[in-house]
This record gives sequence, C-alpha cells and structure tokens, in this order.
Amino acid sequence: MQDHYKRYSMDIEEVKQRAGPREFGPTDDMPEEYRKAATRMIQFHANSEIMGAYIERPFIRQAPSLDRKLAVSAQVQDEIGHGQLLYRAAENLGIKTREQMLDELANGEGKFLNCFHYPLDDWYELPMIMFFVDGAAMRRQATLKRTSWEPYAHAIDKICFEEGFHIKHGESILAELASGTRRDQQRLQEAFDKWWPRILQFFGPTDDQSTHSDFSSAVGLKTMGNDALRTAFLNVYLPKAEKYGLEIPETPAVTFNDDTNRYEVEEEDLDWDEFMQIARNQYPQGVGQIDKRHRTQEAVEWVRDAIENPGAGSAAAD
Amino acid sequence: MSTQRLGAPGDLSEREREAVEALLYQLADDEFVVADRYTDWQCQGPTLEADIAIANIAQDELGHARLWYDLLEDFGYEESELIWERDAADFRHATLCEQSFESGDWADAVVRSYCYDVAEFLQLEALAETSYPRIADRIEKVQGEEHYHREHAQNWLERLCEDDDGTRRVQQAVDDLYPYALTLFEPTAKEADIVELGLRPTSLDQLRSEWYDITGAFLAGLGVSVPEESELDDLVAEQTGRDGDHTDDWQRQYNELTYTYRMLDRTEARRLMADPDEA
Repeated sequence: MQDHYKRYSMDIEEVKQRAGPREFGPTDDMPEEYRKAATRMIQFHANSEIMGAYIERPFIRQAPSLDRKLAVSAQVQDEIGHGQLLYRAAENLGIKTREQMLDELANGEGKFLNCFHYPLDDWYELPMIMFFVDGAAMRRQATLKRTSWEPYAHAIDKICFEEGFHIKHGESILAELASGTRRDQQRLQEAFDKWWPRILQFFGPTDDQSTHSDFSSAVGLKTMGNDALRTAFLNVYLPKAEKYGLEIPETPAVTFNDDTNRYEVEEEDLDWDEFMQIARNQYPQGVGQIDKRHRTQEAVEWVRDAIENPGAGSAAAD
Repeated sequence: MSTQRLGAPGDLSEREREAVEALLYQLADDEFVVADRYTDWQCQGPTLEADIAIANIAQDELGHARLWYDLLEDFGYEESELIWERDAADFRHATLCEQSFESGDWADAVVRSYCYDVAEFLQLEALAETSYPRIADRIEKVQGEEHYHREHAQNWLERLCEDDDGTRRVQQAVDDLYPYALTLFEPTAKEADIVELGLRPTSLDQLRSEWYDITGAFLAGLGVSVPEESELDDLVAEQTGRDGDHTDDWQRQYNELTYTYRMLDRTEARRLMADPDEA
C-alpha cells in the first residue's frame, strides 16, 4: 500500500523477500524481470484455454444428447471466457497488449499446453481432456490461488470454480462409457492408452530440467514444483482411473516411492523429443491446430476493422 | 378469437393432438437447429466477447428447444425419438436455420439472428394467446431471453453498418438470406387447424406482414434495402423445411450431429438436468 508513489521499480531482492500469496498488484511498480515472467506464465495459460476450447469444439455438434450438447457448449464458452480474463490479467503487467498476445497465438509464436496440440478423434477421447487433463489443470491451478500476482490469483478463483463443473461433466461422460458395452470399454481403454503418456507429460519435465522454474518460484509466481504437482494429480486420478475399469499402461512405468512419498515416472519411457517439438510449436498436428486458429481469425479480420475504424473504405476520414 | 381452452395432453381429440404436435415440432426444431448452427461460431467469433455472446444465445435457444421437445414428451415420445433417431426428412424447421456459414461471414450470423429473433418475438406474442395451457405456461420464460437476443443482433447490425464495407456485407447477407428468412412463415400441414383451434390464433401471413414492417424499417434506417412486400410470395426459397423438404446443408449438419449417437449405438439420450416441470 505504501508503495503507491514509488518512482522506481522495486528491486528483485525486495520482490523475493515480500513474495507471498496475492502480494503484488497493478499499483506496485514491479521490475521488468518479474513482469516478463508473470506475462509469460499467464499468456501461456490464456493460450491454453483458447486452444483447449478448439479441440473440444467439434463435440458441441457431435454430442449425443441435448443436455450434453448444452454442457459442452457452455464448457467451450467458459474456456474462451477464461482466456479473456487471463489476457486481461496479463495485460495489466504492461508488457504486452491482448491484441499482441492473440496475434502471437494465431501466428504460431504463442505457447500452450502439450495436450492441446493433439486433436481429439472421437467421443471416447473427450473424457481424456475433460476429466484427466482438466483434472491435471485443476491441480496446478489450485496452487495458483496463492500466486504472488493478485490479478492472476483473482482470475484463478473464477476459473477453478467453473472448471469444477467441467470435470464433473467429464467424469459423467467417462462413467457412461465405462458402464457401457464391452466395445465401449475397449475403445475407452484405447483412448486412455493413447493419452496417458501425454497426460503424464502435462506437468512438464522434472524440476531439475525445467527452464523457468527457479525464478518464478523465487518471486512467488509459481507455488509448487512440477514433480509435486504430478504426484498430487496421480494420488487422486490413478484410483479414479481404476474405479472406471481403466488399466494403467505398463509403460511409461509409474511407481510409488515410499521413501520420498512420491510417484516416480520412468522418464525415459516418455517421448521428450515429441514434447520438445510441441514446445516449439512444430509438432505437425499442433501446427494444424494453430493454422486453424490463424485461418478463422483472419476470416473475421474485416469485422474488427469495421468496428475499430469505421469509415469509408481505406481513406482516412479526416 | 373465442376459441375454447384445450385440455390436458391426454384429453385431446386426435385432430387437436395432431395440430399441437405439428406446432411443437416446428417450434422445437427451429430452436434446436438454429442453435446448433450458432455453435459453429464458438471459437470462431470476431472477438472473444462476440464468441461468448453467441454461445450464450445458442445455449438459450437449446434450452428453449428442450422446453418444446419436453411438451412432445407429454405424448409419450422420448428424446431419442424426437431428435437422435428421427429421419432428417421428418424435421420441420425452416431452412433459414440450417444454412451453413461461409467462413468468417459474421454478417450472415447477425442478419440471420436478427431475422430469426424478430420472427420469434412475434410468434411468442401470438402464442401468449394460445388455447393450449401447456404452451401458455412456458411462453414467459422464453420471452424473457429473446429480448436480449434481439438487442444483441441490432447492436451488431448498427456497428457493422457504421462502416462502408460492413454495410456492403450486411446487404449481401440480407439478399442471400431473405428467401430463407421467409420460410419461417411457411405453413406446416396442420396450419389451418393450428389457427382454428387457437393454438396460435394469429395467421402466419399476419405474422409475416408484421415482421416485414419491423425488419424493413430497421434495416432501411441502416442504409440496407429489402425487397418490396409485393415480391415476397415469389421470393420464398424453394425448400421451406416446413414440409420436410430441406437443403443439402441440413443433411450434412444432421449426419454430423447424430454421428456420436450412432457410433455409440445409443438407444437413449442421457439427461443431466431436471425435467422442466420440476425445475
């Protein structure tokens, strides 16, 4: 509060010292390094909401009941709403405008979660996103209620609240398929086998290999490491998968270490080349998703022109 | 206008019941199909805000479809028969609802929504006088949401028409959609009974004429022209949908929307929400 009129930005040491839940906001003069790190994190999250909405979108039309159609439509809409909220929180940091971030996403420069680079083939795959991936996201987001950038934490409150409904609907789809015919169960298992390694990679490389982790943790942006998050996720979701009759694939090997009290995943069993290709936005299917976003945004460019600069053609009015 | 109030679903004569069903199919199918089309814009809107707004409207219309299909369930039908296992040619929505969007054609979305929402507003006003109590009970809920839809469409039309290119695109959409918009006022096989029995005491001709005056005046104010009223009869699209004759766009939409239901070999549609009578 007392820092309102400070003329120079806070130095990094002070940031690290004060770093705590919801400690900083738009009235604080944060150093550029902090603002950049926070922007990178929130922009990544916002992009992921938009691209997550993209892969679920076909299932609004393809949903097999009126209520499910309504639920999927609402879910996709919520995700666009989360994107909107997050871009606003990121914009507050003064590094990039929302337009810049949306342009970066459409141009293939914006980064987003690995799982949203893979389009969904059919309804059996939908709960892999709506239950498991959203469940993983929820784990991570719950820890961000204590992030040091207050506008981000504020957005997270609303996001977590709505995400809870999505996961419930995802679980309801999963339960319906799991209690269906033998063929339903087989197809569900195939979808799970295909998605399981991607879900394990959702939390990224182990902490010692994560690039931006140290600084983000030191300034309170990140409140829990990749390994701990993955363990927290597996604690809840392994039993759930089993409850719905899903067999956990043998590879990648996942074992519980009693000494560390953690799940350990055999890292070599995971395809990190593919993961890195995705991280560079170069994975072919992911490129297809980004191009789709690019094309649809380009197709409505005229609307933005018309409402932002209304006038007669290209000639300036004055 | 001194028609008699009709009885409960189980007490209707065969003639009454057939007319009620025809009206409900028309109402429900219009809402269901236009809503499903609006969802094409999810993730494709010109701004994040526009994306969210059109999704809202789609969900409202889906909710209305649910209310009307639910009244058909009074006669013993189930959702699976009413939507998922019904032949494409048995749907009675107007062909305006099923037209696919050209990529990026937001002018089509707002013009269509405007034409549809004004027609729906007039139809609901007429239905407020209905002789069938089960419909009368639900009118108010539907009317409450339609007001916002009309305002949304009007705002967008005003914004687009402040720009020359925007006006040109709106005019194009009006020209393209007009023949299909008119199909909203085409009769189903039971139209005479629907009016005589007071299910909807106002005729479709009367509704069309009111719709023409309202939409024509508003669009003219934006510099967008519409056909002369004397030309309307000749302009109506060849396929109206009201008799089950649809355009190719519908078959594609139908195939896609029933795809999962068929793939899963479903025999029933999963309910998640409370029955409208209990909600």
